[in-house]
Amino acid sequence: MSASTKRLFSQTGKYALLTVVLALFAGPLAWMLSTMLKTKAETYKAPPSLLPESLNFESFNRLFEVQPLMWRWIGNSFIISILVVIGVILSSSIVAYGFSRFSNKYKNRLFPIVLMTMMIPPSVMMIPSYVLFTKLHWVDTWLPLIVPAWLGGAYYIFLFRQFFMSIPHELDEATYLDGGNRWTVFSRVILPLSKPIVMTTVIFAFVNTWLDFLGPFLYIKNNEMFTLSVGLQLLIGQTSQDFPALAAGAFISIVPIGLLFLFAQRYIVEGVMLTGSKG
Amino acid sequence: MKNRLRRYDTSVFFLFIAPWIIGFTLFFLIPFGTSVFYAFTDARLPGAVDYNFIGFSNFQEMLNNPTFGKSLLNTLYFVGVGVPVVTAGMLLLGLLLNMNVKGIALYRTFYYLPTLVPIVATVIIWRLVFNSEFGILNAGLSVFGIGKTDWLGSEGLIKPVIILLQVWISGSGVLIFLAALKNVPKHLYEAVRIDGASRLRAFFTITLPMISPSILFVVIIQTMYNFQMFTEALLLTKGGPNYAAYTFVYNIYKSAFTDLQFSMAMAQSIFLFAIISLVTFVLMKLSNRFVYYEGEK
Repeated sequence: MSASTKRLFSQTGKYALLTVVLALFAGPLAWMLSTMLKTKAETYKAPPSLLPESLNFESFNRLFEVQPLMWRWIGNSFIISILVVIGVILSSSIVAYGFSRFSNKYKNRLFPIVLMTMMIPPSVMMIPSYVLFTKLHWVDTWLPLIVPAWLGGAYYIFLFRQFFMSIPHELDEATYLDGGNRWTVFSRVILPLSKPIVMTTVIFAFVNTWLDFLGPFLYIKNNEMFTLSVGLQLLIGQTSQDFPALAAGAFISIVPIGLLFLFAQRYIVEGVMLTGSKG
Repeated sequence: MKNRLRRYDTSVFFLFIAPWIIGFTLFFLIPFGTSVFYAFTDARLPGAVDYNFIGFSNFQEMLNNPTFGKSLLNTLYFVGVGVPVVTAGMLLLGLLLNMNVKGIALYRTFYYLPTLVPIVATVIIWRLVFNSEFGILNAGLSVFGIGKTDWLGSEGLIKPVIILLQVWISGSGVLIFLAALKNVPKHLYEAVRIDGASRLRAFFTITLPMISPSILFVVIIQTMYNFQMFTEALLLTKGGPNYAAYTFVYNIYKSAFTDLQFSMAMAQSIFLFAIISLVTFVLMKLSNRFVYYEGEK
């Protein structure tokens, strides 16, 4: 065998391997799409058919009929995610400026605490937080989901701080010479230079909030206040045998993130790299 | 004058970090402090005013809780079996996606997609795939002559199915391994190839040591996550069948919201926190022996 044939062979082998594993990973998603487009009767056939007989969007009608609150839940998820994003950007960037541009003994003692809180297991805080929110009368409102984001999340502070550290201090000095103060440096120099990290954080925070299940599941009892995830969980209980409608519900909850990923993949990947997690 | 200026600047610093100080106090210090306090009382409800100090009774009674032992064993399974399997899965996928072929970027995108699926949707999809009557998995396996398997209804299979689900959504760990693999200097491979070493040998003598910091990082994150396994188990089979997927955090949840014993739930939370801290600490200590940091003597 010549060297080039051998190469071609190993290239083909690589593609074959990639494609087989890809089928295993994309398979479940494809099965969701296929189920979503079937009629209810088709899903009860044994053995099941791989593809729907015809493209049929009845499942969406049934979904919105069984659960008229679907639209509301979608809206709720968007409103909460957007409010979280705004809060995260404002508060975390301000706090991160504090932790990156000042030098005093307090900073050096407090920043390790910020890092430490990133390591606290969230489920350990589940019950204590619930007790706190009960005492604040925040249970069954969106406040437990939104207010913490307005008070500086550790992950996002860390992301911003890493970026701010890379901005040269000469620009700060020039602004001080022009009579600027700390706030002018932050708002006129640092923030305008931070568009990439703002973009990363916007997308990362949106995705994380959209994906969050446990928070809204614990704190919100009133159906009308549900997020889409918690609503879908209710739906599993309501129509556990209507496979196409369930698949349609799952599909709807994936679409916003899928679109974001399509257009902003770079930022999501960057966020994972910098913090090592997606939530 | 200079001192005054410095003091002024320090106050400005505290103004900047004020949001974090408030958030940290309100959402961490206060709840954590009160929960340590409540763990030693018999308070049943979150807003309870009448309660008595009962010392370590909650911790003693926790051990007598009928589901406590089962939940602990299941959680240890998710840590002891789940973490190595998921980490190995991530590493294999990382190696696969690190192959040098055209169009690999598109493959990477597809592998990452499941990671971005909301967990409730993931569970819906898995119920469709693993359904014993109408699911695609059993239909596919029957082609190979494998009989109908009740994946979600079998005590022996539910934990492996959940671990498989974790591998399906392991894209973030795969990304971390991919980045680490790209950073392994190429010249090292060339050196051992000249020595005539096989690919497998190169993997064990070069790749593994070079990416060991990332392995440690992923193992720690995954260990912490699997100690807290709850959402997947709750949504997929409500911890069943017959408590086979009933985890420690599930038990905490049940103590608080079903049994209405919040002080008991808090005692368990503290217990879990202690275990996770201990295991993380041991992992870090042990890792000194296995993890290789380049540039360190």
